[in-house]
Amino acid sequence: MQTNFTVEQLADPNVQSSNQVLRTCVHCGFCTATCPTFVLLGDELDSPRGRIYLIKDMLESGRPATEEVVRHVDRCLSCLACMTTCPSGVHYMHLVDHARQYIEETYTRPWHERMLRNVLQMVLPRPALFRAAVLGARVARPVRRLIPRGSTLGDRVHAMLDLAPGKLPPSGSMQSPQVHKAEGARRGRVALLAGCAQTVLAPSINEATIRLLTRHGIEVVIARGVGCCGALTHHMGRHDPAMASARANIAGWTREIEGDGLDAILINTSGCGTTVKDYGFMFRAEPAEWAMKAERVSALAMDISEYLTTLNYAPTRPMPGLRVAYHAACSLQHGQRVLNEPKALLRKAGFTVVEPAEGHLCCGSAGTYNLVQPAIAGRLRERKLANIARTKPDLIAAGNIGCITQLSGDGTPVIHTVELLDWMAGGPAPAGLPQVATAVPA
Amino acid sequence: MIAQPPPKADVIARRSEIVAGLQALLPASGVISEALRLKPYETDGLPAYRQIPLAVALPETTEQVAAVLAFCHKNGVRVIPRGAGTSLSGGALPMSDSVVVGLMRMNQILDIDYADRCATVQAGVTNIGITNAVAAEGFFYAPDPSSQLACMIGGNVGMNSGGAHCLKYGVTANNLLGLRIVTMQGEILDIGGQHLDAAGYDWLGLMTGSEGMLAMVTEVTVRILRAPEGQRAMLVAFDANETAGRAVDAIIGSGIIPVALEFMDRPAIHACEQFAHAGYPLDAEAMLIIEVEGSVAEQDDLLNRIAALCEPFHPLSLRVSQSVEESVAIWKGRKGAFGAVGRISPDYLCMDGTIPTGQLPFVLRRIGEMSDAYGLKVANIFHAGDGNLHPLIMFDANRPGSFEDAEKFGADILKLCVEVGGCLTGEHGVGVEKRELMTVQFTEIELNQQRRIKTAFDPDWLLNPSKVFPLVEPPQAADLPAAA
Amino acid sequence: MSVALAPAHEGGVVEAILAARAAKEPLLVQGRGTKAGMLRPVQAARGLSTRNLTEISLYAPQELIISAGAGVSIPDLEAKLAEGGQGLIAEPPDLSALLGTEAGVQTLGGVVATNLSGPRRVAWGAMRDHVMGVRAVNGAGEVIRSGGRVLKNVTGLDLCKLLTGSYGTLAVITEVTLKVLPRAELTGSLLLPGLDAIRGVAALSSALGSPFGVSGAAWLPADAAERVPALAGRGAVALVRIEDFAKSVEYRLGRLAEGLAPFGAAALLNDEASGAAWRAIRDAVPLRAEPGDAVWRVSVRPSSGPATLATLESAGARGFLDWGGGLVWIAGPPALHERVTATALAGRGTWTLLRAPEPMRAAVDVVPPEAPALARITRRVKTAMDPAGILNPGRLYAGV
Repeated sequence: MQTNFTVEQLADPNVQSSNQVLRTCVHCGFCTATCPTFVLLGDELDSPRGRIYLIKDMLESGRPATEEVVRHVDRCLSCLACMTTCPSGVHYMHLVDHARQYIEETYTRPWHERMLRNVLQMVLPRPALFRAAVLGARVARPVRRLIPRGSTLGDRVHAMLDLAPGKLPPSGSMQSPQVHKAEGARRGRVALLAGCAQTVLAPSINEATIRLLTRHGIEVVIARGVGCCGALTHHMGRHDPAMASARANIAGWTREIEGDGLDAILINTSGCGTTVKDYGFMFRAEPAEWAMKAERVSALAMDISEYLTTLNYAPTRPMPGLRVAYHAACSLQHGQRVLNEPKALLRKAGFTVVEPAEGHLCCGSAGTYNLVQPAIAGRLRERKLANIARTKPDLIAAGNIGCITQLSGDGTPVIHTVELLDWMAGGPAPAGLPQVATAVPA
Repeated sequence: MIAQPPPKADVIARRSEIVAGLQALLPASGVISEALRLKPYETDGLPAYRQIPLAVALPETTEQVAAVLAFCHKNGVRVIPRGAGTSLSGGALPMSDSVVVGLMRMNQILDIDYADRCATVQAGVTNIGITNAVAAEGFFYAPDPSSQLACMIGGNVGMNSGGAHCLKYGVTANNLLGLRIVTMQGEILDIGGQHLDAAGYDWLGLMTGSEGMLAMVTEVTVRILRAPEGQRAMLVAFDANETAGRAVDAIIGSGIIPVALEFMDRPAIHACEQFAHAGYPLDAEAMLIIEVEGSVAEQDDLLNRIAALCEPFHPLSLRVSQSVEESVAIWKGRKGAFGAVGRISPDYLCMDGTIPTGQLPFVLRRIGEMSDAYGLKVANIFHAGDGNLHPLIMFDANRPGSFEDAEKFGADILKLCVEVGGCLTGEHGVGVEKRELMTVQFTEIELNQQRRIKTAFDPDWLLNPSKVFPLVEPPQAADLPAAA
Repeated sequence: MSVALAPAHEGGVVEAILAARAAKEPLLVQGRGTKAGMLRPVQAARGLSTRNLTEISLYAPQELIISAGAGVSIPDLEAKLAEGGQGLIAEPPDLSALLGTEAGVQTLGGVVATNLSGPRRVAWGAMRDHVMGVRAVNGAGEVIRSGGRVLKNVTGLDLCKLLTGSYGTLAVITEVTLKVLPRAELTGSLLLPGLDAIRGVAALSSALGSPFGVSGAAWLPADAAERVPALAGRGAVALVRIEDFAKSVEYRLGRLAEGLAPFGAAALLNDEASGAAWRAIRDAVPLRAEPGDAVWRVSVRPSSGPATLATLESAGARGFLDWGGGLVWIAGPPALHERVTATALAGRGTWTLLRAPEPMRAAVDVVPPEAPALARITRRVKTAMDPAGILNPGRLYAGV
């Protein structure tokens, strides 16, 4: 597509990158079809092509973002289904990330939105605060009917209270910085991103991951200084906090790489995985040393299912006779193009894997999307659950804590892929399994 | 920028009144009128042409469409119908005094009848959406334009869309049973139904391919077909366009009608391979994708016959797809061809002429010469069975004059298509893009005949008025005796 | 009729129309007149026949295209196509026996102007689906072309479709370009005896919904089947056809028979018997129409075919079903007209009065009347093409 940037504008590395993205787009419109918000809202403005057009206009004009543009960019889930669909290879993720940063820098949101975003930015990446907040939400739940629905603010508060789990599991000790030794001969050494919210909501995911890896002869490092991947603030357009998170992680992992060495950096929350794999791009304009380190971290980053595929995973329990609906997290299928590995592993573990219709559509979780856009997120959740229900599964498997939280509570248990794999390879039965299934002998 | 008829000053002056009128007819989110939010509606799949409309209306029901059209008719406001906005001929290009009526919200499947092999859907259902809805029962909707993922059935009717498989299954017109349409006056009419061949004039046939100039389509009843037992694609590579062309003639001449017979030249092969990783032969000058259907034994039999027919033309390679995934990849490359060219060139113009198939080598040679003369690269994709040629002219819109050259080059190609016995457009429609070239194919008498039929439906020329015909003052109702 | 012209060139057609226009006299447009008994009669002082436009100007087998004058007879056209191993796709019927006209002389122009299609219509489309191009002269004496000589063409409004089936009321077709296809190497049919109409159509539906490419699907009650030697002596029959390469026909008939097993054991009709049976069905031979009877063609959705036929049989009509059940051929006393039209419309279908005594044809609707808004468009389109209203006035609708 034709673009109109001045030479001065193009001196900015962000504009330069966005210009390249825009030039790749030929405006064919294929992306509209697989965009969840276009499918629901039926408006070009809520499609990738429409957003690309709005962003193009905003960036070219160099004017501050306006409420109209912000509304439609905010509605984007960043699910990246458009990138899977695009025949021209338009890197929408980099464009929309730039647009979000531009909006954050040039647009003043209403006070309650600013507050919400500040709170999310402060709380979610910090496990201790997040734990306290969830407990607070439990306290607040009885008084929720006092909060009126119908207003943006009221709906969002309800969304938060709805999503907060009824109780929290104990945090356990496996996720804190340490080295988990391989069982038997060491075949490899990896770092695991323990993550932030996940450590609070479902420590069992990291525990299963560590058990599964060490059982396969892999030494697992929870590196010191590594915390939130930065995706949360990155997707809010908050450049500096995102870079700070990423920098801390890069530093932590670099110590390990340059110390005892790492074969891979594993991520079992695919939303984070997409971001870690993008560190190289995020640091492209930083001093060469950091750019190199970031590049190296990104090159080592792998989803847990990608890495497990390279090991000789084999179940030790008999086939459980369970029908598993595999829910492909957007960050995994679109962001990282990891499509078959999780399904193949689940089949290897002995599960009957079924794939719901419209598997390309987001479930509405999308990071903090279900908190800031509860109406659309709710419709996507219903649509997703209805498609899943049609496959008549015993349980749902997914590789992303966001999706797991979003899809839980509908009767069918939602369990991380890695917990199911660990179970069938000798680990404990994941919590929340159907009664009959837990009777599977070891 | 493309010429447009003079805007109606009185309509533009009454803009806020018109917007308010529309707002009274539609849900709040159904009317777009702020300048910034109108911008993404200024163009479609041909972004070289742009025009911001007066307003955009997004109705959700046939009744709302009727109300909007009646309102616009009463107020003398021009209306531009829009589906998914994937037109490659500028079919949904707005006018500054027009209301774009988008049917994207009408995306419901209304009825599926397997016993009678038909489905009724709203106009905003995507082409692939119909197939997806019936695939579990083993059925499909046959026409498969490359944009089938995104393009909507209402737009398919407007353009009479084809696709790679229409050699066997026909184009949109051949797969329709009925339409619900809304006239510019706001009347809702049903034509055809769930049965074949309505008596009286063939309104279904006339509406199909009328590019939204006669009425707006809101519901469509299509034939659905049972999918064959299986299908398999074969890639055959040749060292010259000419030999590939002769192989096509030999296949059709033998009495075999493959379900698809697609030709790609060297630049197209390379662009698509980058996108699809389908194992296209990168050493070839030309490649055929040949698909056959039936049981495995039938496929084998046909593929063997076709391979034997290709043999005298010394193919460089001949590869039969061994799995469903391989066939999917082969078609992914072909169907993403237009966008894939976006990887090797920032901009392209997609031409859509049809030629007698025997003229292919000559036409490709001439296109090659023109490509050199204009200094613009071109990739050719060709529905070889039915003669529909898609030269993709690559240019750089950021370079002054580049688009204008590409346009001229395209016009020269289309004139060549007509010269050798073909036509300006096989499946993309005339739109605004080829409007002024219509005089190459038709006499003024013929164009006036078509204009008078447009007038019979839309006496005031309010519905998509700047498309298809070269811009002249439209014949008005006064030209017709008072038969109405 | 004072003047009846049959020019050998398009120029003569133009002259005839201009003369009629100048004289303000209606013109009866026809080919060989074999279909004059269909629909409404035309009151015209002048006649114009296209029977002498017999040139075949182009035949390109590799391009699946033939261009022929409107006056070329269907048998001549088929003979020409046979040279290239090809044939007409829509299998147009020869209804001369039913209409009491000369057999084997109907013209291409006549078949196109009436959009007459045979059994293959259910799978491969109607005549109108294969008209790729036309040349015609409108009521103002202007030569207009639409379409062309290529298989895919969306340039401008599709007047090919508008003119096909317009019974010469909009323009006089002088030349037609058709898409043609290779003749099948072999045909064969499965015959399922003893099914009533509902079970019969269920069997046809199952066959048409199979992946085996059925190209003909008809159900005949016992008395109708008796009129076709290849089908006689088995009671009511459901019949499905496969046309393809020989090996495929064998394989597909076998698989179809398996799939149709719930409907009973199928008998196999070989190439010759199958050919004879489908020619008879094409030409409506199974329909017993007594002198003085009217004949209707009713088109409904296939699953409504049995009920439509049963209702009309109970009123004293006879009939049979083609197009998988969707085409209901009906013969019976003219007095049944209202019953037929009401039944067709109740089944949300359409109907054509194909044959009737002349006074009746002049007095009743011969196709369903259109909704007022559509009828207005019909009149305006008629005026757009034939401003003076001289071409076959009243042939489809009174006053149009």
